[in-house]
Amino acid sequence: MGLFSSSPASPPPPKISSDGAPIAPDRTQRAKCWESRDAYFGCLDRNNIVDSITEKDKAEKACSVEGRGFESNCASSWVTYFKKRRVMEYQRNKTLERLKAEGAQEMPGQIGPPGPGQRP
Amino acid sequence: MTSNTAPRSQQCLRSASKGSQPVRQFGSSPPKAYKTVQEQRSRYRSGPFSWKAGLLFLSSGAALIFYFRYEKARMERKRVAEAAKGVGRPKVGGPFRLLDQYGKEFTDGDMKGRYSLVYFGFSHCPDICPEELDKMAQMIDLVNASPLLSASSSLPPLLPLFITCDPARDTPGVLQTYLSEFHPAIIGLTGTWEQIKDICKKYRVYFSTPEGVQKGQDYLVDHSIYFYLMDPEGDFVEAIGRQHSPEDAAKIILAHVGDWKR
Repeated sequence: MGLFSSSPASPPPPKISSDGAPIAPDRTQRAKCWESRDAYFGCLDRNNIVDSITEKDKAEKACSVEGRGFESNCASSWVTYFKKRRVMEYQRNKTLERLKAEGAQEMPGQIGPPGPGQRP
Repeated sequence: MTSNTAPRSQQCLRSASKGSQPVRQFGSSPPKAYKTVQEQRSRYRSGPFSWKAGLLFLSSGAALIFYFRYEKARMERKRVAEAAKGVGRPKVGGPFRLLDQYGKEFTDGDMKGRYSLVYFGFSHCPDICPEELDKMAQMIDLVNASPLLSASSSLPPLLPLFITCDPARDTPGVLQTYLSEFHPAIIGLTGTWEQIKDICKKYRVYFSTPEGVQKGQDYLVDHSIYFYLMDPEGDFVEAIGRQHSPEDAAKIILAHVGDWKR
Protein backbone atom coordinates (compact mmCIF):
# COMPACT_ATOMS: atom_id res chain seq x y z
CA MET A 1 0.00 0.00 0.00
CA GLY A 2 1.88 2.98 1.25
CA LEU A 3 5.40 3.50 2.41
CA PHE A 4 4.72 2.00 5.79
CA SER A 5 3.37 -1.31 4.59
CA SER A 6 6.73 -2.51 3.40
CA SER A 7 7.55 -4.09 6.74
CA PRO A 8 7.41 -7.86 6.14
CA ALA A 9 4.36 -9.45 7.75
CA SER A 10 5.05 -12.95 8.93
CA PRO A 11 3.97 -15.17 11.80
CA PRO A 12 6.04 -15.22 14.99
CA PRO A 13 9.02 -17.58 14.88
CA PRO A 14 8.07 -21.18 15.70
CA LYS A 15 8.82 -22.88 18.98
CA ILE A 16 11.69 -25.29 19.00
CA SER A 17 11.09 -28.95 19.81
CA SER A 18 13.10 -31.01 22.28
CA ASP A 19 15.42 -32.16 19.49
CA GLY A 20 16.05 -28.68 18.15
CA ALA A 21 13.71 -28.55 15.18
CA PRO A 22 11.06 -25.85 14.72
CA ILE A 23 7.58 -27.09 15.61
CA ALA A 24 4.76 -26.76 13.12
CA PRO A 25 1.87 -24.41 13.93
CA ASP A 26 -0.39 -25.89 16.58
CA ARG A 27 -4.16 -26.04 16.63
CA THR A 28 -4.72 -22.49 17.84
CA GLN A 29 -2.21 -21.06 15.38
CA ARG A 30 -3.86 -22.96 12.57
CA ALA A 31 -7.28 -21.71 13.61
CA LYS A 32 -5.95 -18.15 13.69
CA CYS A 33 -4.45 -18.56 10.25
CA TRP A 34 -7.66 -19.98 8.80
CA GLU A 35 -9.68 -17.21 10.40
CA SER A 36 -7.55 -14.45 8.92
CA ARG A 37 -7.59 -16.29 5.60
CA ASP A 38 -11.38 -16.35 5.61
CA ALA A 39 -11.43 -12.64 6.45
CA TYR A 40 -9.10 -11.91 3.55
CA PHE A 41 -11.07 -14.07 1.11
CA GLY A 42 -14.29 -12.44 2.32
CA CYS A 43 -12.82 -9.09 1.37
CA LEU A 44 -11.74 -10.44 -2.02
CA ASP A 45 -15.27 -11.75 -2.55
CA ARG A 46 -16.73 -8.35 -1.79
CA ASN A 47 -14.40 -6.79 -4.33
CA ASN A 48 -14.91 -9.47 -6.98
CA ILE A 49 -11.32 -10.59 -6.98
CA VAL A 50 -10.71 -14.29 -7.52
CA ASP A 51 -7.00 -14.56 -8.14
CA SER A 52 -5.13 -12.38 -5.67
CA ILE A 53 -1.80 -13.41 -7.18
CA THR A 54 -2.37 -12.18 -10.75
CA GLU A 55 -4.53 -9.28 -9.54
CA LYS A 56 -2.04 -8.38 -6.88
CA ASP A 57 -2.31 -4.61 -7.16
CA LYS A 58 -6.08 -4.60 -7.10
CA ALA A 59 -6.13 -6.94 -4.13
CA GLU A 60 -3.61 -4.85 -2.26
CA LYS A 61 -5.60 -1.70 -2.82
CA ALA A 62 -8.89 -3.22 -1.72
CA CYS A 63 -7.87 -5.60 1.04
CA SER A 64 -4.57 -4.40 2.44
CA VAL A 65 -5.62 -4.72 6.08
CA GLU A 66 -7.02 -8.22 5.71
CA GLY A 67 -4.08 -9.20 3.55
CA ARG A 68 -1.63 -8.08 6.22
CA GLY A 69 -3.58 -10.03 8.83
CA PHE A 70 -3.50 -13.10 6.60
CA GLU A 71 0.23 -12.87 6.05
CA SER A 72 1.02 -12.24 9.68
CA ASN A 73 -0.91 -15.30 10.85
CA CYS A 74 0.11 -17.83 8.22
CA ALA A 75 3.45 -19.04 6.92
CA SER A 76 4.16 -17.64 3.46
CA SER A 77 3.96 -21.09 1.85
CA TRP A 78 0.50 -21.47 3.33
CA VAL A 79 -0.54 -18.04 2.03
CA THR A 80 0.46 -18.96 -1.50
CA TYR A 81 -1.18 -22.36 -1.18
CA PHE A 82 -4.49 -20.93 0.01
CA LYS A 83 -4.49 -18.25 -2.68
CA LYS A 84 -3.90 -20.85 -5.39
CA ARG A 85 -6.46 -23.16 -3.90
CA ARG A 86 -9.04 -20.41 -3.97
CA VAL A 87 -8.53 -19.98 -7.70
CA MET A 88 -8.67 -23.73 -8.24
CA GLU A 89 -11.88 -24.08 -6.31
CA TYR A 90 -13.43 -21.17 -8.14
CA GLN A 91 -12.61 -22.76 -11.47
CA ARG A 92 -13.89 -26.12 -10.32
CA ASN A 93 -17.20 -24.63 -9.22
CA LYS A 94 -17.50 -22.75 -12.49
CA THR A 95 -16.87 -25.92 -14.45
CA LEU A 96 -19.50 -27.75 -12.44
CA GLU A 97 -21.97 -24.93 -13.01
CA ARG A 98 -21.24 -24.91 -16.71
CA LEU A 99 -21.71 -28.65 -16.94
CA LYS A 100 -24.98 -28.38 -15.08
CA ALA A 101 -26.15 -25.63 -17.41
CA GLU A 102 -25.29 -27.86 -20.34
CA GLY A 103 -27.56 -30.48 -18.86
CA ALA A 104 -24.99 -32.83 -17.42
CA GLN A 105 -26.47 -35.20 -14.92
CA GLU A 106 -24.94 -35.49 -11.52
CA MET A 107 -23.94 -39.03 -10.78
CA PRO A 108 -24.93 -40.53 -7.47
CA GLY A 109 -22.21 -40.63 -4.87
CA GLN A 110 -19.26 -38.37 -4.41
CA ILE A 111 -16.56 -37.31 -6.71
CA GLY A 112 -13.53 -39.34 -5.75
CA PRO A 113 -10.79 -37.97 -3.59
CA PRO A 114 -8.22 -35.76 -5.23
CA GLY A 115 -5.69 -37.93 -6.96
CA PRO A 116 -2.07 -38.33 -5.97
CA GLY A 117 -0.16 -35.13 -6.23
CA GLN A 118 -3.00 -33.14 -4.78
CA ARG A 119 -1.57 -30.64 -2.39
CA PRO A 120 -2.47 -31.42 1.18
CA MET B 1 -91.13 -68.20 -0.54
CA THR B 2 -90.93 -70.45 -3.56
CA SER B 3 -90.40 -67.56 -5.88
CA ASN B 4 -87.75 -66.33 -3.57
CA THR B 5 -85.52 -69.38 -3.79
CA ALA B 6 -84.04 -68.72 -7.19
CA PRO B 7 -82.46 -65.33 -6.63
CA ARG B 8 -81.62 -66.09 -3.03
CA SER B 9 -77.99 -65.45 -3.34
CA GLN B 10 -78.69 -62.16 -4.97
CA GLN B 11 -80.96 -61.12 -2.16
CA CYS B 12 -78.47 -62.26 0.38
CA LEU B 13 -75.80 -60.19 -1.21
CA ARG B 14 -77.98 -57.14 -1.23
CA SER B 15 -78.98 -57.57 2.34
CA ALA B 16 -75.42 -58.29 3.35
CA SER B 17 -74.44 -54.92 2.14
CA LYS B 18 -77.19 -53.27 4.11
CA GLY B 19 -76.93 -55.26 7.32
CA SER B 20 -78.12 -58.83 7.25
CA GLN B 21 -79.73 -59.37 10.63
CA PRO B 22 -83.48 -59.14 9.76
CA VAL B 23 -83.13 -61.22 6.59
CA ARG B 24 -81.27 -63.93 8.38
CA GLN B 25 -84.08 -64.31 10.84
CA PHE B 26 -86.62 -65.03 8.12
CA GLY B 27 -84.39 -66.72 5.59
CA SER B 28 -85.07 -70.41 5.03
CA SER B 29 -81.49 -71.39 4.36
CA PRO B 30 -79.12 -71.72 7.30
CA PRO B 31 -76.61 -68.89 7.71
CA LYS B 32 -73.77 -71.33 7.10
CA ALA B 33 -74.71 -71.70 3.45
CA TYR B 34 -74.53 -67.95 3.02
CA LYS B 35 -71.16 -67.90 4.63
CA THR B 36 -69.90 -70.60 2.33
CA VAL B 37 -71.01 -68.67 -0.71
CA GLN B 38 -69.25 -65.61 0.57
CA GLU B 39 -66.16 -67.62 1.29
CA GLN B 40 -66.35 -69.25 -2.06
CA ARG B 41 -66.73 -65.95 -3.78
CA SER B 42 -63.76 -64.49 -2.01
CA ARG B 43 -61.86 -67.65 -2.64
CA TYR B 44 -62.76 -67.36 -6.30
CA ARG B 45 -61.68 -63.74 -6.39
CA SER B 46 -58.34 -64.15 -4.61
CA GLY B 47 -57.41 -67.57 -5.92
CA PRO B 48 -55.46 -69.91 -3.67
CA PHE B 49 -53.90 -67.06 -1.69
CA SER B 50 -54.71 -66.02 1.83
CA TRP B 51 -53.15 -63.23 3.83
CA LYS B 52 -51.17 -65.80 5.75
CA ALA B 53 -49.66 -67.21 2.61
CA GLY B 54 -48.93 -63.71 1.43
CA LEU B 55 -47.22 -62.79 4.65
CA LEU B 56 -45.15 -65.95 4.61
CA PHE B 57 -44.18 -65.29 1.02
CA LEU B 58 -43.19 -61.69 1.72
CA SER B 59 -41.26 -62.42 4.90
CA SER B 60 -39.32 -65.30 3.40
CA GLY B 61 -38.61 -63.16 0.36
CA ALA B 62 -37.39 -60.31 2.52
CA ALA B 63 -35.24 -62.68 4.56
CA LEU B 64 -33.70 -64.08 1.39
CA ILE B 65 -33.00 -60.61 0.01
CA PHE B 66 -31.42 -59.58 3.29
CA TYR B 67 -29.28 -62.69 3.40
CA PHE B 68 -28.30 -62.30 -0.23
CA ARG B 69 -27.27 -58.67 0.30
CA TYR B 70 -25.28 -59.57 3.39
CA GLU B 71 -23.45 -62.34 1.57
CA LYS B 72 -22.86 -60.11 -1.41
CA ALA B 73 -21.34 -57.37 0.78
CA ARG B 74 -19.21 -59.95 2.56
CA MET B 75 -17.98 -61.42 -0.71
CA GLU B 76 -17.23 -57.93 -2.00
CA ARG B 77 -15.13 -57.12 1.08
CA LYS B 78 -13.41 -60.45 0.74
CA ARG B 79 -12.69 -59.71 -2.89
CA VAL B 80 -11.25 -56.29 -2.01
CA ALA B 81 -9.12 -57.80 0.73
CA GLU B 82 -8.02 -60.76 -1.39
CA ALA B 83 -7.27 -58.63 -4.43
CA ALA B 84 -4.92 -56.57 -2.31
CA LYS B 85 -3.13 -59.67 -1.08
CA GLY B 86 -0.45 -60.23 -3.62
CA VAL B 87 1.11 -63.58 -4.21
CA GLY B 88 4.36 -63.44 -2.32
CA ARG B 89 5.30 -59.80 -2.02
CA PRO B 90 2.46 -57.50 -1.02
CA LYS B 91 1.56 -54.84 -3.53
CA VAL B 92 1.21 -52.09 -0.94
CA GLY B 93 3.31 -51.90 2.17
CA GLY B 94 6.45 -53.80 3.06
CA PRO B 95 9.33 -53.89 5.44
CA PHE B 96 10.62 -50.66 6.91
CA ARG B 97 12.68 -49.40 9.80
CA LEU B 98 11.84 -45.95 11.14
CA LEU B 99 11.83 -43.94 14.37
CA ASP B 100 8.68 -43.17 16.35
CA GLN B 101 7.98 -39.83 18.02
CA TYR B 102 9.78 -40.96 21.17
CA GLY B 103 12.94 -41.75 19.25
CA LYS B 104 12.44 -45.51 19.50
CA GLU B 105 12.86 -47.81 16.55
CA PHE B 106 9.65 -48.96 14.87
CA THR B 107 9.55 -51.57 12.14
CA ASP B 108 6.92 -53.34 10.05
CA GLY B 109 7.16 -56.18 12.59
CA ASP B 110 5.51 -53.94 15.16
CA MET B 111 2.43 -53.79 12.92
CA LYS B 112 1.87 -57.55 12.98
CA GLY B 113 -0.97 -59.08 14.94
CA ARG B 114 -3.34 -56.14 14.74
CA TYR B 115 -5.12 -54.02 12.21
CA SER B 116 -3.35 -50.75 11.52
CA LEU B 117 -4.37 -47.55 9.83
CA VAL B 118 -1.55 -45.78 8.02
CA TYR B 119 -1.61 -42.13 7.02
CA PHE B 120 1.07 -40.13 5.26
CA GLY B 121 1.38 -36.42 5.87
CA PHE B 122 3.57 -33.72 7.34
CA SER B 123 3.24 -31.43 10.30
CA HIS B 124 3.58 -28.16 8.37
CA CYS B 125 0.53 -29.07 6.32
CA PRO B 126 -1.87 -26.13 5.90
CA ASP B 127 -5.31 -27.65 6.11
CA ILE B 128 -5.91 -31.16 4.80
CA CYS B 129 -3.63 -33.15 7.11
CA PRO B 130 -5.00 -31.60 10.31
CA GLU B 131 -8.54 -32.22 9.11
CA GLU B 132 -7.71 -35.78 8.20
CA LEU B 133 -5.94 -36.36 11.51
CA ASP B 134 -8.99 -35.13 13.39
CA LYS B 135 -11.02 -37.59 11.35
CA MET B 136 -8.48 -40.29 12.14
CA ALA B 137 -8.86 -39.60 15.87
CA GLN B 138 -12.62 -40.06 15.56
CA MET B 139 -12.12 -43.25 13.55
CA ILE B 140 -9.79 -44.67 16.20
CA ASP B 141 -12.31 -44.08 18.96
CA LEU B 142 -15.22 -45.42 16.91
CA VAL B 143 -13.34 -48.54 15.87
CA ASN B 144 -11.88 -49.29 19.27
CA ALA B 145 -15.26 -48.83 20.94
CA SER B 146 -16.58 -51.79 18.95
CA PRO B 147 -17.01 -55.09 20.80
CA LEU B 148 -15.11 -56.70 17.92
CA LEU B 149 -11.89 -55.23 19.24
CA SER B 150 -12.49 -54.49 22.89
CA ALA B 151 -14.24 -57.66 24.02
CA SER B 152 -12.50 -60.35 22.01
CA SER B 153 -8.92 -60.48 23.09
CA SER B 154 -7.87 -62.14 19.84
CA LEU B 155 -7.38 -58.76 18.16
CA PRO B 156 -5.79 -55.83 19.97
CA PRO B 157 -7.01 -52.26 19.30
CA LEU B 158 -6.38 -50.55 15.98
CA LEU B 159 -2.86 -49.22 15.53
CA PRO B 160 -2.86 -45.74 13.98
CA LEU B 161 0.33 -44.66 12.23
CA PHE B 162 1.27 -41.25 10.91
CA ILE B 163 4.26 -41.43 8.59
CA THR B 164 5.82 -38.11 7.68
CA CYS B 165 6.67 -37.20 4.10
CA ASP B 166 8.82 -34.37 5.35
CA PRO B 167 11.60 -35.95 7.40
CA ALA B 168 13.81 -32.85 7.31
CA ARG B 169 11.40 -30.84 9.43
CA ASP B 170 9.47 -33.62 11.18
CA THR B 171 11.91 -34.88 13.78
CA PRO B 172 10.61 -37.18 16.54
CA GLY B 173 10.31 -34.16 18.84
CA VAL B 174 8.22 -32.20 16.33
CA LEU B 175 5.95 -35.18 15.72
CA GLN B 176 5.50 -35.74 19.43
CA THR B 177 4.24 -32.20 19.98
CA TYR B 178 2.20 -32.20 16.79
CA LEU B 179 0.44 -35.54 17.26
CA SER B 180 -0.35 -34.99 20.93
CA GLU B 181 -3.02 -32.56 19.75
CA PHE B 182 -4.89 -35.24 17.85
CA HIS B 183 -4.94 -38.63 19.57
CA PRO B 184 -2.63 -40.22 22.13
CA ALA B 185 -2.69 -43.55 20.28
CA ILE B 186 -1.25 -42.23 17.02
CA ILE B 187 2.34 -43.29 16.45
CA GLY B 188 4.34 -40.83 14.39
CA LEU B 189 7.14 -42.20 12.25
CA THR B 190 10.07 -40.44 10.71
CA GLY B 191 13.48 -41.33 9.35
CA THR B 192 16.09 -40.23 6.88
CA TRP B 193 15.12 -38.85 3.48
CA GLU B 194 16.06 -42.19 1.85
CA GLN B 195 14.07 -44.21 4.38
CA ILE B 196 10.98 -42.06 3.88
CA LYS B 197 11.33 -42.15 0.12
CA ASP B 198 11.56 -45.93 0.33
CA ILE B 199 8.43 -46.38 2.46
CA CYS B 200 6.48 -43.93 0.30
CA LYS B 201 7.40 -46.04 -2.69
CA LYS B 202 6.29 -49.21 -0.92
CA TYR B 203 2.94 -47.66 -0.04
CA ARG B 204 2.60 -46.15 -3.51
CA VAL B 205 2.55 -42.68 -2.05
CA TYR B 206 3.45 -39.78 -4.28
CA PHE B 207 6.59 -38.28 -2.80
CA SER B 208 7.88 -34.89 -3.84
CA THR B 209 9.89 -33.76 -0.86
CA PRO B 210 13.08 -32.03 -1.97
CA GLU B 211 16.31 -33.53 -0.71
CA GLY B 212 18.66 -31.57 1.48
CA VAL B 213 16.38 -28.73 2.58
CA GLN B 214 17.57 -26.48 5.34
CA LYS B 215 15.98 -26.49 8.77
CA GLY B 216 13.45 -23.71 9.18
CA GLN B 217 12.86 -23.43 5.46
CA ASP B 218 9.29 -22.74 4.43
CA TYR B 219 7.90 -25.12 1.81
CA LEU B 220 5.03 -27.50 1.20
CA VAL B 221 5.05 -31.17 0.29
CA ASP B 222 2.81 -32.93 -2.19
CA HIS B 223 1.58 -36.28 -1.07
CA SER B 224 -1.28 -38.73 -1.48
CA ILE B 225 -4.04 -38.46 1.07
CA TYR B 226 -5.43 -41.90 1.77
CA PHE B 227 -5.76 -43.96 4.89
CA TYR B 228 -4.33 -47.42 4.33
CA LEU B 229 -5.96 -50.20 6.27
CA MET B 230 -3.45 -53.01 6.87
CA ASP B 231 -4.44 -56.42 8.23
CA PRO B 232 -2.76 -58.26 11.13
CA GLU B 233 -0.38 -59.93 8.68
CA GLY B 234 0.79 -56.55 7.45
CA ASP B 235 -1.00 -56.86 4.12
CA PHE B 236 -2.89 -54.01 2.55
CA VAL B 237 -6.68 -54.32 2.80
CA GLU B 238 -8.31 -51.16 1.56
CA ALA B 239 -7.67 -47.46 1.03
CA ILE B 240 -10.02 -45.00 2.66
CA GLY B 241 -10.25 -41.64 0.95
CA ARG B 242 -11.29 -38.16 1.93
CA GLN B 243 -14.86 -38.66 0.81
CA HIS B 244 -15.55 -41.03 3.69
CA SER B 245 -16.83 -39.60 6.94
CA PRO B 246 -15.25 -40.97 10.13
CA GLU B 247 -18.41 -43.02 10.68
CA ASP B 248 -18.27 -44.51 7.18
CA ALA B 249 -14.58 -45.23 7.56
CA ALA B 250 -15.11 -46.90 10.94
CA LYS B 251 -17.84 -49.03 9.38
CA ILE B 252 -15.53 -50.12 6.57
CA ILE B 253 -12.73 -50.92 8.99
CA LEU B 254 -14.99 -52.85 11.38
CA ALA B 255 -16.50 -54.82 8.51
CA HIS B 256 -13.00 -56.02 7.61
CA VAL B 257 -12.14 -56.66 11.24
CA GLY B 258 -15.31 -58.75 11.56
CA ASP B 259 -14.23 -60.86 8.58
CA TRP B 260 -10.88 -61.65 10.18
CA LYS B 261 -10.72 -65.33 11.16
CA ARG B 262 -7.32 -66.77 11.68
